[in-house]
Amino acid sequence: MVAPLYTTDSGLLFHAGKILVITIGLPARGKTHISRALERYLRWMGVKTQVVSLGDYRRKTLGGAQKLPPDYFHLGEKSSETLALRRKILDGCEQLIWDFFKNGQVVIYDANNGTRAARKLLAEKFHNKGIHVIFLESLCDNKEIIEANIRSVKISSPDYRGWNPDDAVKDYYTRIRDHEEHYEPVEEKDWPYIRIVNVGEKIMVNNIKGYLQSRIVFFIMNIHNRPRTIYFARSGQSLIEHSYKADSDLSPAGWEYAEKLKDFVLQRRAKTLELRGSNPQDQRLVIWTSTRRRAHHTAWPFLQAANVSTSSSGSYLATPTPSTPISTSNIPILEDGIKNLVIDPNNLPTPPALAPATAPLNIKVIEKPQMSEINPGIWDGLTPDQARKYYPQDWERFVKDPYAFRAPRAESYHDLSVRLEPVLIELEREKEDLLIIGHASVIRCLLAYLIGLPASEIPAIEIARGDLLEVMPASYGVHCKAYHFWDGPGRRGDDSTSGASGMDGDSKDENNFYENYAEDTKGKRKVGAVKEPEASISAVYESA
Amino acid sequence: MADLGIPPHSDSNSREIADDLTRAADALETMQASGDLAPAVSSIITPMSPPPALFGAYGPMLKRFDESAVASRKGSLAPSPPPSVKGIGKKVAKPDYSEQKIVVAMVGLPARGKSYLSNKLMIYLRWLEYDVKVFNVGQLRRTKARQRAQQLGIKENHTADFFSHSNEKATQSRDSLAEESLEMLIRWLKEGGGNVGIHDATNSTKSRRAKIEARLAKEKGMTLIFLESLCDDPATIAANVELKVSQGDPDYKDMSPDDARKDFLRRISEYEKVYETITEPHLSYLRIKNVGEEVTMSRINGYLSSRIAFYLMNLHIRPRSIFFSRHGESQYNVEGKIGGDSLLSPRGMQYAKALPALITDNIGEKPLTVWTSTLKRTIQTAQYLPYTKLTWKSLDELDAGVCDGMTYEEIEQAYPDDSANRDEDKFNYRYRGGESYRDVVVRMEPVIMELERQENILIIGHQAILRCLYAYFHHLPQADLPYIKIPLHTVIKLTPKAYGCDEERYTLPINAVDTHRPKPKAAKAPEVHSTTQRKYYVEEDNEMKPSV
Repeated sequence: MVAPLYTTDSGLLFHAGKILVITIGLPARGKTHISRALERYLRWMGVKTQVVSLGDYRRKTLGGAQKLPPDYFHLGEKSSETLALRRKILDGCEQLIWDFFKNGQVVIYDANNGTRAARKLLAEKFHNKGIHVIFLESLCDNKEIIEANIRSVKISSPDYRGWNPDDAVKDYYTRIRDHEEHYEPVEEKDWPYIRIVNVGEKIMVNNIKGYLQSRIVFFIMNIHNRPRTIYFARSGQSLIEHSYKADSDLSPAGWEYAEKLKDFVLQRRAKTLELRGSNPQDQRLVIWTSTRRRAHHTAWPFLQAANVSTSSSGSYLATPTPSTPISTSNIPILEDGIKNLVIDPNNLPTPPALAPATAPLNIKVIEKPQMSEINPGIWDGLTPDQARKYYPQDWERFVKDPYAFRAPRAESYHDLSVRLEPVLIELEREKEDLLIIGHASVIRCLLAYLIGLPASEIPAIEIARGDLLEVMPASYGVHCKAYHFWDGPGRRGDDSTSGASGMDGDSKDENNFYENYAEDTKGKRKVGAVKEPEASISAVYESA
Repeated sequence: MADLGIPPHSDSNSREIADDLTRAADALETMQASGDLAPAVSSIITPMSPPPALFGAYGPMLKRFDESAVASRKGSLAPSPPPSVKGIGKKVAKPDYSEQKIVVAMVGLPARGKSYLSNKLMIYLRWLEYDVKVFNVGQLRRTKARQRAQQLGIKENHTADFFSHSNEKATQSRDSLAEESLEMLIRWLKEGGGNVGIHDATNSTKSRRAKIEARLAKEKGMTLIFLESLCDDPATIAANVELKVSQGDPDYKDMSPDDARKDFLRRISEYEKVYETITEPHLSYLRIKNVGEEVTMSRINGYLSSRIAFYLMNLHIRPRSIFFSRHGESQYNVEGKIGGDSLLSPRGMQYAKALPALITDNIGEKPLTVWTSTLKRTIQTAQYLPYTKLTWKSLDELDAGVCDGMTYEEIEQAYPDDSANRDEDKFNYRYRGGESYRDVVVRMEPVIMELERQENILIIGHQAILRCLYAYFHHLPQADLPYIKIPLHTVIKLTPKAYGCDEERYTLPINAVDTHRPKPKAAKAPEVHSTTQRKYYVEEDNEMKPSV
């Protein structure tokens, strides 16, 4: 189980000690992709983790490939200046690793490390200082994967700024060829290793022991790089928004929202699949909800649309029925980098008459008990004012650290993250398009993971009802867009008559973390305000 | 809904909603003002008198809310909305696993732990409510031989000669047994609603594996995974051989242990002559060397397959013990209340003080880690134990939702129908705003995974939590799970063995209330039979019949 609720005396999570993951592999074998994904996962678990990339460091210190001596990438005879230069880079990287280990726990050293002698030397140095060393080798014998990797990642690197793409690819291949000649795959059984062939097609694991180490293996077993889309939407408004226990039904506005959500998702998805060149009928849309009524009832219209045969309350299998695909050709397409672009719901083109549907709508709804909203414990059903009044000390601690604080009987965001970890692994593994109809607190945790936000930011992420988030994993992170499709009661807590009416009239409260424990939203800081280098957020939220 | 999903704004509609919510809020305030709501929870001392449990089933609030909610449902747009919420809980059906059809074909020499792995895998997946069955070719062979012996009086030679590759007739007979077993497995997956069928045979040659592959290619929607168990540690093999000859294998019924050992070793060497490890690059396989030392996974796709792989990766066979204890008697136990976060009663404190001696006497100098929940009563119970202690939120007691803090009598009085429903089908019953036993099992899954990895562990837990964990280790069916007896002030020691767990119980002579609620009709606690014995024959059900 992941992320236990303690730290050791050294300030590290788990009694796992410090771990150095040394990546091994020829260029363009997906080492960086795996390294970054692993870093994101471990950080989300609360482990202080850092990728140290030899390539990045070299570019930062020496500049792009143009500025390097011509024999820099050739493994044969080198001039003494080049050797000195390379030594300097290696030593510099090693120093970075030592520096990070002063406070950090896991370093992923992203470099080729292709020769046995060199990696043995490196591994021993760290091993002798009590650091656990793991070799992580990424092998690839599928030419298509390599070529795709070169085209999508390598030639856009600063090394090839201003190059013609085909020339760059050619040059890159010559760079690799030299490495290939000298490459020695990992066969040394005296070190723990993980070998991955063709991004997860085959995985070999040797002598991996320890808690974090085995989490690392399990995570790597589950990642893939097939294109897909993950949608997130809030569940509809319920009759009593601020009670966890009442587990109430959707309000009329909630039902209305659920219908609109269905229409909008099907329409967005048709568009995405068209761009991707897939047939919507071939690819199933999987919907995950919690077991809470407000969440799985929000998925109800999807099942209605697909003319369901409800097999059990645990999951529903949609059976064929003509759906109503709607032409969306007139909707402005959001492009990367455009900020604050929101679709104006009142200004949408009217769709043409129903297009004839030819094939069934392929939808599956799965209820997951781990996806229930954060448990408010003794604060259940209380307004923020009441919570503050009855539990002043708890309240004070809560406001200070809304991520880690656990009210009596309640869950902290940290607890929620732990509970969600199996869901997250399933999320990584899922190959179909996925719609998560979730509670604000749950979406916050999952989104923070996908975008790579630090844990402390989780409670501050704003998820408004009526926005559909579209997340597409890419090699260095994710593309995330928000589409606004609905305005109505419960969107941002603008419904002054909701149960939590004790709040002062402010519609935006910087410190309003209490909504964590209630489903009604008053609005707070925006996710776009958070800057994180790895994150690729191409559109941010905009108030209605 | 042909209008692109954007609703025309209906003022009258939103006014209706507003009215309903106003009503609910008003009701709440009025009740608070008049002191009409549930009394304060006495065990939590705060400067201000604590607020009532607003939506607990104790006060009138929940019922009143449900009545008002029925009226407000009228605005629903769904043509056939799901049933409305009422009461304190409902039964929840098992999730639909019908799409999962996996064949796990074992590969490995005799005495390499194949049956151990397949048995563990079956227990784990059954605990998660997958329908799993092991089809063991050896059992089928012995059962058939026994039938023939009983009916026809034919005594067959099943010594090592039978397993020699050069014995053509026997080889044929063994092949057809393996095929028959596979056919039974496929039929069970197709017609019996099974999810995972484990083909427990040696499957030691490429040609045999190719046959299995070709046979399954004819079936739609079935995934085939080979699970190879390798072992080159002489000590482990010797231990496995000893287990085989000493545990009453009918193949060696009339032999002295020495002869049996010799014969079995000869059987192994017959297999070794033709054994081919998996190198076929197109197969989905999982290779485990020396239980967890080295694992290779190839083409493992799909959620359940990867769970299986991860589970098997976490297993180890180092000797260890797992101790379970409930917290000492709590104040809520004395008052007959469920849930809550109360402190220990004086007798509970006595237990906490007596616990360290009991544990230390038992475990001696060996290392031990104590796990508790985040609730006060388990932390208090563990406070005197001189071991590393870890607190897990996942170990918190089953959440009784709106019924938290009530006695069973109170629940029965307030909601007689619901209370009867729960008694009828406790495993599937989910408290409103809380959990069912199934939800707890799902929550415990990572705990099981971690327990499998760990060595000596003492869990200071709660009744429902320990029932779920106990059911896993003893392989008890889910319907019986909520009625397992886990009394207070008792330490349960489980020692995993090859085919089950040994159990010892230590009850401390400190009185405590009995919190066990027997199943109303068939008041019979599930029987725990010694499960450490290996099964040598096919279980007595109808699976022998279709094999003509």
